[in-house]
Amino acid sequence: MKNKRRRSGFIAACVTPAIVLFIIFMIIPTIDVFRMSLYRWGGYTAEKTFVGLQNFSTLFASDKFYRAFQNSILLIVIVTIVTFFFAIIFAAILTREKIKGQNFFRVIFYIPNILSIVVISAIFSAIYDPNNGLLNSFIALFKGGTNDDPILWLGSPKIVIYSIAIAMVWQAIGYYMVMYMASMANIPESLYESAALEGAGRIKQFTSITLPLIWTNIRTTLTFFIISNINMSFLFVKAMTNSGPDGASSVFLSYMYQEAYTNSSYGYGMAIGVMVFLFSFALAAILNAVTKREEIEF
Amino acid sequence: MKLKKVLCVAMAALTAFGAAACGGNTTGNTGADTGSVTTDGTETSDAADEGTSGDNQVLKVAAVETAYGAQIWQDVCAAFEASHPGVTVELTIDKKLEDVITPEMKSGVYPDVIMRAVGGEQALTETFVKDNNVEDLTDVLSMTVPGEDVTVGDKILPGFVDNSITNPYGDGKTYLMPMFYGPCGLFYNQGLLDEKGWTVPTTWDEMWELGDKAKAEGIALFTYPTTGYFDAFFYALLHEAMGSKQFTQAMNYGEGIWETEEAQTVFDIIEKLATYTEPTTPANANDNDFQKNQQLILDNKAIFMPNGTWVVGEMAEAPRAEGFEWGFTALPAIVEDGERASYTFFEQVWMPKGAENKDLGKEFIAYLYSDEAAEIFASGDSPAVQPIVGMSEKLSGDNKLFYSIYDNGAVAVMDAFATTDPVEGITVRGTFFDPVNSLVTGDKTKDDWVSQIISDSDALRAALKQ
Repeated sequence: MKNKRRRSGFIAACVTPAIVLFIIFMIIPTIDVFRMSLYRWGGYTAEKTFVGLQNFSTLFASDKFYRAFQNSILLIVIVTIVTFFFAIIFAAILTREKIKGQNFFRVIFYIPNILSIVVISAIFSAIYDPNNGLLNSFIALFKGGTNDDPILWLGSPKIVIYSIAIAMVWQAIGYYMVMYMASMANIPESLYESAALEGAGRIKQFTSITLPLIWTNIRTTLTFFIISNINMSFLFVKAMTNSGPDGASSVFLSYMYQEAYTNSSYGYGMAIGVMVFLFSFALAAILNAVTKREEIEF
Repeated sequence: MKLKKVLCVAMAALTAFGAAACGGNTTGNTGADTGSVTTDGTETSDAADEGTSGDNQVLKVAAVETAYGAQIWQDVCAAFEASHPGVTVELTIDKKLEDVITPEMKSGVYPDVIMRAVGGEQALTETFVKDNNVEDLTDVLSMTVPGEDVTVGDKILPGFVDNSITNPYGDGKTYLMPMFYGPCGLFYNQGLLDEKGWTVPTTWDEMWELGDKAKAEGIALFTYPTTGYFDAFFYALLHEAMGSKQFTQAMNYGEGIWETEEAQTVFDIIEKLATYTEPTTPANANDNDFQKNQQLILDNKAIFMPNGTWVVGEMAEAPRAEGFEWGFTALPAIVEDGERASYTFFEQVWMPKGAENKDLGKEFIAYLYSDEAAEIFASGDSPAVQPIVGMSEKLSGDNKLFYSIYDNGAVAVMDAFATTDPVEGITVRGTFFDPVNSLVTGDKTKDDWVSQIISDSDALRAALKQ
């Protein structure tokens, strides 16, 4: 009995620091975001006025917020689909097929992940440069060598968000590819052998063996990716266009940053933060629900 | 088993210690962490902060490090210490000043004097003004400059302390004091114009003529670094079209002001200018790539850009066309022999209401206008020029040309849009200037732009400070 008490005491002593840290650095700030969203506050001084839900009613009437919302969702959808499609395909090719220089490709695909977002943004700014960028120079080859009517990859409000999506996909593919390669490598070779004996082709093998067996991994990474996508899009937008031109590339967090700091509306910024918080939570829950499958093990 | 337990306890203790250390930092003095430097170049320690006993007074000065460099501020603070025995100036100077001083301010410890101009991305100064948290500095104007026998007010050039930036509430009191100033206008390559035999246009009609001539040679008439540079341009153009009285109304978002003929003239000019703008400009019109747009001028791909005198230093290392020579002009007049205006950009120094050493801080601000301080400020590679009588005569080279713009008949415009309470979702830049990008790419029409201005102006007017 005494021993048991000592044991629980010991466990409590071990767990307390972590819990205290968690409360101080996670729970309290999160609650604070919700609390701050009910105030009108400049952000620098101690003066705050309580305004209730007014920040939210302004938010729901603002086109700029909806534009940021749209852009964020567009990025989440496009970047996720494209990244996952290519990451899985490349991973399958690199693990299942015998190609020369497999390791070389593995490294090449992974490199973008080592680079910082600012470096990637600089690379893509150079690629997208309208006058002597890689992309426009390449397109000019097909237009008879002239670059008379250059495409403004980062300058046209209609194109800019897709330009950012391309950079994001480029950055993310390698990391997820490596993750899938790891779980694909674990699938026993015997499954493929017997499938081949039964006459299943490569595509059938992929859809009936590979995909179901790495499904748990896909599910987890999908949730990760979507949440990190919200953060990543901010970094890319901040470093490449700063929401420009004319706000066409603003996303959730860049709009929040702009309002909370540049526009001296910290409380309003926090209201945006609350919406982002709820949105990502809801999205993660929905994803979890729709991707639920019976777990298959080998 | 035992070893495992010991390890666990050790880990737990370590984490707890970590927590305590973190907690200590957030409440403690951030001076040491942020590496703020005192005038003698040593890191400030907590002990130094508390050394306020007896005659020894500590003045906390926070300044943003701009293109002028940090050295001038360190020298001025040292000179102030030398002329005021017993005073220690604790200078925090950083390019990201807001990030450095905000944690302390949130816990209620404010610098005594802050040098940060309006227009920064984190809007430190605007936020203090909007929150009514700046100290009234009107009495500094009647203080005698330390070591001299003139008052501060007499030394400052006329116009610099009675505009809507320094008197943000329109109550006749000065809250922000003007510091380094520079004229803004159109920069161009004098060498290119000389080579082609073109003259600098004095009216907008001549401007369009030049634009057509240049277009025939594959040169664009206009470019801009980012839409943020349109503020100075827009204010000056508005002043040309409206004259002082109406201009003041416009700066206060006067009702119906944007529907007037004068305002429409301004919108028409900017719309037309958008068609003469180098077409790739919007692609680089962001904070990372704006120098590519400035490079267009150096490469003779565009003729004019709105900018400030700092551009010369900013592009000092950039490659340039042969025979390049900076030229600078006020905006062309709207009608023949009409007004030509140039916006005067200036930085501000101010005191937060929460400052502790208000008297000493005001003494310091007054000292900034002394000849001694002004000389130190103007001693750097790119001289920081204060709006002090006689200062512009001491300049040389390019700067002499820039600062003489007002001697050649250009009208100096200094006001900016009036201060409002924060209006969520509406920024002056987002409403007035950013859409220029869309005008150039053709994604917005002038009417879209103007109707946005009219509706946002209504919201801003309602939030004006009384």
